[in-house]
Amino acid sequence: MTVSSFLLTPGEWTALWLSVKVGLASVALSLIPGIAIAWLLARRRFPGKTALDALVHLPLVLPPVVTGYLLLLALGRNGIVGGFLHDHFGLDIAFTWRAAVLASAAMGFPLLVRSVRLAVEMVDRRLEEAAQTLGASPLQMFFRLVLPLAAPGLLTGIVLAFARSLGEFGATITFAGDIPGQSRTLPVAIYSYLQLPSGDAPAQRLVIISLVLSLGALAASEALARKARRGAGGEAHA
Amino acid sequence: MLEVSVAVARGSFSLRVDAVLEKGTAAVFGPSGAGKSTLLHAIAGLARSARGRIVLDGTVLLDTRKGINVPAHERRLGVVFQDGRLFPHLTVEGNLRFAERYVRPSERRLKAGDVADLLALGPLMSRSVRAISGGEAQRVALGRALLSSPRLLVLDEPLSSLDQGLKAQLLPFLRRVQAAAGIPMLYVSHDLGEVLQLADEVLVLEAGSVVARGPFLDLLAVPRALALFRGHGLMNVFRARVQAHREADGVTLLLPVQPHGEQAYHSCSPLAARISETRRVGEDVCLGLRPEDVALALGPVEGTSIQNQLSGVVQEIIEGPDRTLVVVNAGTPLMCDVTRHSVRDLDLRPGRAVWCLIKAQALAYLGECGAPRKAAQET
Repeated sequence: MTVSSFLLTPGEWTALWLSVKVGLASVALSLIPGIAIAWLLARRRFPGKTALDALVHLPLVLPPVVTGYLLLLALGRNGIVGGFLHDHFGLDIAFTWRAAVLASAAMGFPLLVRSVRLAVEMVDRRLEEAAQTLGASPLQMFFRLVLPLAAPGLLTGIVLAFARSLGEFGATITFAGDIPGQSRTLPVAIYSYLQLPSGDAPAQRLVIISLVLSLGALAASEALARKARRGAGGEAHA
Repeated sequence: MLEVSVAVARGSFSLRVDAVLEKGTAAVFGPSGAGKSTLLHAIAGLARSARGRIVLDGTVLLDTRKGINVPAHERRLGVVFQDGRLFPHLTVEGNLRFAERYVRPSERRLKAGDVADLLALGPLMSRSVRAISGGEAQRVALGRALLSSPRLLVLDEPLSSLDQGLKAQLLPFLRRVQAAAGIPMLYVSHDLGEVLQLADEVLVLEAGSVVARGPFLDLLAVPRALALFRGHGLMNVFRARVQAHREADGVTLLLPVQPHGEQAYHSCSPLAARISETRRVGEDVCLGLRPEDVALALGPVEGTSIQNQLSGVVQEIIEGPDRTLVVVNAGTPLMCDVTRHSVRDLDLRPGRAVWCLIKAQALAYLGECGAPRKAAQET
């Protein structure tokens, strides 16, 4: 803290740390449902598939403010789900850190699903047939064949969703507000500083932090993907 | 024993097969598009549209009337696909272990080390499957299927993606597996030469239905089957035991033996053949001979360069549209392709004594035969 406080004020530091935490939490939250839905969309035919596909992709095409507002309608204290959670569990979502995570997850979800779906579609079905004849059940086949082969796509999806979370603003400010330590992530903090007469300097520091973080995430994804491809080519079973 | 009675519809193509395959190795032969792969997929549980009944050694795999359809991963059939289908994210060893993983220890019939020895996979183990050749890949695929300890090994044109030379290298491995593993095999191919080197019983398919089935020599009498055979590498394939090398003459003497190598045909005289590879005396090899490379004479011929003259008796004469196939019992059954003119000229008919004339060069060496099957099962 002492070293970094030369560069950042405690408030800026909190915003940075919150952004990273929200990003990681939103990816963690999306991972299992994201992989499951990607697999369903890639490999199964079922009634309502088109509707599910559209629903997943909606945040990609809607203005983020609208996504945030829809989340607020559903999960706010007056919303159906939000009201239920508040009445029965005393759990509030809107305008807390949970809302920041959910808003990020919703915005990053289509990116995760898209890249996992593409990667699963690329897995040769004839290999799946071979695995079946060798006695692998559908679930075993998924974990030992499909997922390892789709790993580069999964990694890309995770990094994209994480990066999208770092940049998330519209849905967050609508659904989670601008609460330091709860929902004031980097973009929200930058916007807030810019509203203040003396905010240019801290805003610029955060802009630089944002740039470094985003470029770092991209570089990491590239490195991981390369390693995954190499691994898929040469590494023995673990 | 495999009982198959299935119908599969795929778009405009439909397959209908009723057959019982009893012997150790059966082959499904037919031209491309006959429905061989579709049949195989139905047996393996990979064809969703298959209807009917499939029973393997008393276990019902499919019975649509009773609503039974054992999923592919529970059928315990080892399949070697035409295109290998090795898992690219694993090494050779990883592929082999993948198969072993899903077999209960009590049901394992083969050890990884033995399979590796049998198929000469040792040096490949740590290699990526992307870094091995096509022939090596098919050997790994074969090993992988064996290590799943299948109740039946199904091979779907396993050699068709390989060039001629590699094919010749791989067939001996298949025969070795046949001899050593003791697992029944169903071999699917459009190449009759391959089929005859491996199978006791042939099911001939064309355009989705069965043309004929039974021991190969019986099928020669079925005109449609014979026509298909002729178009797809009809040849005499027999097992022969190395007697002596005559290095000065550049030939090897071999004695034809019965298909499973139990005993020699005593009535058959030794053959001289050019075998480039040196095989030890007493070893069995496979020889191929095209029916058009056999000439017939009514008596022994003197003053000729032809080294092999086998005496025999005409067993059967099968008239074709342009040529005639004469099956001679010369200790081992031998198909000879002659013109109708010659049949008339020599007055060939069943029971007539003839001499088969075969040049040493016409006998093609097809590789080692593997140990006699009975002996292998005892060990």
